[in-house]
This record gives sequence, C-alpha cells and structure tokens, in this order.
Amino acid sequence: MSLKNALAAAAVAATAVGGAGAAGAQEQVRIGFAAGLTGYLAFFDGMVRNGAQMAVDEINAQGGIAGQWPIEFIVRDMRSDAAAAAVVARELVAADIHAMITPCDVDPAIAAGQLAQAAEIPMMSPCASTPTLPGQVGPYMFNLKTADNLQATVLSEFAHEQGYETAYVLLSPDTPYTDLLPRYFIQAFEASGGEVLEVGTYGWDQQDFSAEVTAIANMEPQPDVIMTSAYEPHFPAFITQLRNAGVEIPVLGSDGIDSPTTLGLGEVAEGVVFSMAGYPAEGSELEAFYRDYEERFGEYLPFAFSASGYEAIMLFAEAIEQAGSLEGPAIRDALDRIADFPGVTGTEITYEGQNRVALRDVTLVRVEGGQQVFLRQVAPDPAEVPEP
Amino acid sequence: MDILIQNLINALALGGTYALLALGLALVFSIMGLINLAHGELMTIGAYALYFMILWAFPFWLALVGALLCAVVAAVLMERVAFRPVRDASMATMLLTSFAVSAILQVAYQNLISPRPLPVAMPSFLGGAVEIGSLQVGMIQLLALGCTAALLLLLVWVFRYTAFGVAMRAAAEDFDTTRLMGIRANALFAGAFALSGLLAGVAALFWVAQRGSVDPLMGFLPVLKAFIAVIVGGLGSLVGAVAGGFLLGAIEIALRALLPSDLLPYRDALSLLLIILVLLVRPQGLMGRRREGVR
Repeated sequence: MSLKNALAAAAVAATAVGGAGAAGAQEQVRIGFAAGLTGYLAFFDGMVRNGAQMAVDEINAQGGIAGQWPIEFIVRDMRSDAAAAAVVARELVAADIHAMITPCDVDPAIAAGQLAQAAEIPMMSPCASTPTLPGQVGPYMFNLKTADNLQATVLSEFAHEQGYETAYVLLSPDTPYTDLLPRYFIQAFEASGGEVLEVGTYGWDQQDFSAEVTAIANMEPQPDVIMTSAYEPHFPAFITQLRNAGVEIPVLGSDGIDSPTTLGLGEVAEGVVFSMAGYPAEGSELEAFYRDYEERFGEYLPFAFSASGYEAIMLFAEAIEQAGSLEGPAIRDALDRIADFPGVTGTEITYEGQNRVALRDVTLVRVEGGQQVFLRQVAPDPAEVPEP
Repeated sequence: MDILIQNLINALALGGTYALLALGLALVFSIMGLINLAHGELMTIGAYALYFMILWAFPFWLALVGALLCAVVAAVLMERVAFRPVRDASMATMLLTSFAVSAILQVAYQNLISPRPLPVAMPSFLGGAVEIGSLQVGMIQLLALGCTAALLLLLVWVFRYTAFGVAMRAAAEDFDTTRLMGIRANALFAGAFALSGLLAGVAALFWVAQRGSVDPLMGFLPVLKAFIAVIVGGLGSLVGAVAGGFLLGAIEIALRALLPSDLLPYRDALSLLLIILVLLVRPQGLMGRRREGVR
C-alpha cells in the first residue's frame, strides 16, 4: 500500500512539474493516453496523439473546457504491447485521470480499458474500430472510428453496385480487426445475394503471400472481387505479390490502409478501393485540419487517425461541458447522450442509443495515380448492417 | 499440375531468401560462435538504403548496388564496434550483445527514419508476370530464384577455390589451428561479417520487392526463420544452413497450399512440429556433425 501511495505521489509530482504554469488554483481535467509510440502502432498512435494535442491546445487557448477546466494531456508509451498497455493504464489511473484515450489496436485497448473501466474512467477508442470492443470492456468504453460492421456494409453495397457477384475474402484470425471486418463483409455481401467463393487466411507474422496468390490465380471461376482488411505491413505485401503474379481482380480494403504507404506503392495499388473515416475535400473542415496539422508537425498527412484523436478530445470536452462535472459516471452518461456531434472528419457522430459504438458516415475512396480519389460518403442503411 | 509447379517455384523463392539469410548467420556462427540476432537489422539497413536512393532519384541499378554496399559496410562496422570487444567472451555475452545491437538499431530506425512502413515502389519492368508455357511466374520471383542460385554457386566457388574461402572454411572447422597457420583473425572476422552483410543485402532486396514496404521491425521475422533453418540444417554447417532454408520454405508453402482452411491457423505450429520431427531423427541437424567438444 505504501508503495502504491509513493508511486501515486511520484506520478502526481511528475505531472505537477510537467504542467507547471498552467496550474494555479484552477482544477484541471487530466486526459490520459496509453499510446503505442514505438512498435507497430507507432504510426497510428503517433497521429492520434498529435491530433489530440491540437484539440487540447485549442481548448486551453480558450480557457479550458467550458472556460473553466484546462486540459492536461498525459501521454505514456506502451510500446504497442498489450501487457505494457495494462501497466501504463495503471499508471494513468494512479495519476487520477478523468478520461482516457485507448491504443489503436483492440487487444491493447482491452488491456488498458479494463483498468480504466474498473476505476469508472470514461474511455474513447479513436481507431480500434471493432464494434464488440465497448461490450467487451464495459460501459465506460466508447468506440469512435467507423465501426467495422459499418465499413463492411458500405463496401458490400459498393461491390454490388459494381456488379461484383462473387468474392474472395482474405482474413487473419490473429486480430479482431483483420478477422471480424471481413466476416461482417461476408455477412452483408451474402445477405444481399453475393457469393463468397473462398475465404483465405494469413498469419500475423506472415509476409510471403505466394501460396495464397497462387490459389487465387488458379481459382475457377475467378472471383469478381477480392476483399480484405489486412493493413501494414501485410496489405502492401499481399497487393504487391498479387499484382506481380499477373492477377488483376479488383481489391477492396478498409480504413487500416488509409496511410501514405498504400499511396506510395506505385502501380500495384492502382484502383484499390477502401473505406475510411472522412475525405479532405477542398475547402472542407477536414482539409483545414490537415493543413493545421502540417503547419504544426511539418508533414501533410491526410489520414484520419489524427482527426480521430482530435475528435476524441472534442467529444470528451463536449461531454464534460454537458455534464458540468468531472465525475466519471457523469461524463460517461453525457457521452452516451451525444447526438449529431459535428466531427472534424466531416460526419456527424451519434452515441445516443448506439451502445457506445459511434454511428457515423463511411467514406469510400479509390487509389488513382498515388492519390485518394473521393467516391462517396454514405450513412449505411441500418437494416443492412450486420449485428456486432 | 500448374498449381503444383507454381507452388514449387514459390517454395524455392521463399526458401532461397531464408537460405541466404541462414547462410549469413551460419557463416558468422561457425567462425565466431556468435548467433547474430542483429542480422535482420542488416537487412533493414539495406532496404532503407534502397528506399532512400530511389527517393533521391538515383538510377535504379545504382540504388541496388548502394543497398548492397550499405548492408556490407554496416555488417563490418557492426563487427568492429559491437562484437570485436566481446569476441573472447562467453556465448551468452555475445548473444546478449547481438540482442542489444538489434534493439538499438530498431529504436534508431523508429526515431531517426520513421516508425511507419515506407513504401518502395519497384520500377514497372520488375512488376507483372511472365508466361512460361501455361505458367505465370512473377518477374521478381523469377529474378530472386536466378540471383539466389547464381549467388550460391558463386559462394561455392569462393569457398572452394579462393584462399579467403578456404581460410573461412578452415576457421569454421577449427579456429585456433587456422590462426596457427598464419591467417589473421581480424581479417577473417571482418570478411565473414562482410559476406553475411552481402547475403543479408541480397535477401533484403528480394524481401522488399515482395513486401512493398520497409519498416523498422521488418528484419526480425525473416531472421527468426533463418535461425530455425540454421538449427535444422545443423548449427555450424554452411551447406546445412542453405538446405535448412530451402526445407523451411518448402514446408511453409506446402502447408499453406495444402492444409484445409480449418487447419490453416495452425500452420506455424505444424511447420515447427515438422522441424522438431526432423530434429528428433537427426538431433545434430541435417548436415551437422556431432561435435566432440564445444569451442
């Protein structure tokens, strides 16, 4: 017990030093982020952190949330490791945070989330998009990004419109995102009359896809479309090997490949269509956000993870303002009542009646000439969305 | 039939990459008794060199040469800076040193270059497939096969007929006696590392051409596989390492091509199980000899 107190005291002392100047008599809102700043999540969590920091600075410049609660944003590296995520979450809880942002992948998000859940601290998952995540962690966990079943529905609708009747689906049972999203797609695609000819699987530590590509190339009849939610580094490897084996079947992907890597692959990625959170059309709020981001961090990165980090802070701020209190249960309840909140990604975000999985639009883009080309932004028909 | 031949090519291409890496590992191990866990980071260096030289608009062939050169120089530097000071230390010390080098390099890549994968777009003449009879074989796969074969033949020649190669093999057999014959230890170590760097560089080119991106952690997995190949082949045997690499490639492709989909998630477990079976029958590995004493 004394050790725990000492640790807590040390954590408080450390944050006091970090936040010196802004402190004073005012009460601060402490928002923690257990972030994978190193390891495989570094790209995603790094952008979330930067986007969230922009929101924090913007709010603090106006005197804090509701003009009275400045935010202190506490980021700790959890090395993209689920066990380390739990340790970091424990540190954050000991630092008396009022809200927490969880890592970009489901497993570390659950590990971190369980601790915050037990401490009744509201949490936001800015990119882990598995719709079962809030249910698995508990009533304090909220999903922000385009949920897997929403993305899958929009992709399936698109596939039908293109006249694709048969599909090959590639999934990996190793993580929920790479497993469930394609399975939602299979459900939605088959429910509306499509046929999935074959489901291939790959392993998380697999980078050679030659056997899978050979299987696809020799399918009789050939599928009309290939769907996968693989992302880096698997997606670049898969698409490179697929195209280099002379297979030209169209490929559908999901928001995990909303990254510069996909755009930089050259010819092999041409024509890939994928779902994502929002498109920065010229003159849109999202474009302005990405420009601000560029000014601040020196890189134009039009990928929605940063915008998601920004939205997470803004949603917390909105909920705290509505709740008029820093008590965990009050913030949670206020979050759960949010409806039609204008997100910087260009969609409205609703939690009311959604079991803490954000209801929002899904955007589809196509890769053309190394650029994202906007196809559509749609709210999927709830009747067609598979149950999580 | 086509699928079988295509998968045979897949197995040879994947196994070839493992073989190149395993050979580099075995080379260093047989001379120094060091299992170089940072071998994969040499691959990563080569891959980054390729990425940056393409980015800076060097001609493609020059980027290839530059990537190989970088891997070789990095390997020699690694030996000089990290491993020479612990050369006479215990195997555990050397193993931990290589672990540290690997971790330091990975973090350096993440912080100095980028934590995210960087895309490497191959020139279009390397993309696509060529028709051979009724088969469609990927251009890069074909090149990987050809180059691996050529490189292995070249190495056979070097080891057989050049003074450097003979010294290297002699040192692998018995290091102390080789030194008594007047071969300089430093030159041998540097040579072994340079060669392992070259092998890692070549493997990196094909690995990157196949996976499309470079990231800080990309070297870990293939080297883990290569390490398995070295063990299966017989720790300390150069020919064994190559054989082990091809065997592992063949097992992996065969399992992925043949297993029914319910069993596919177990493919890695099954492939390791097969490896264990091999080791049960031949505990010293495919080509390993039972050693009387450990140096």
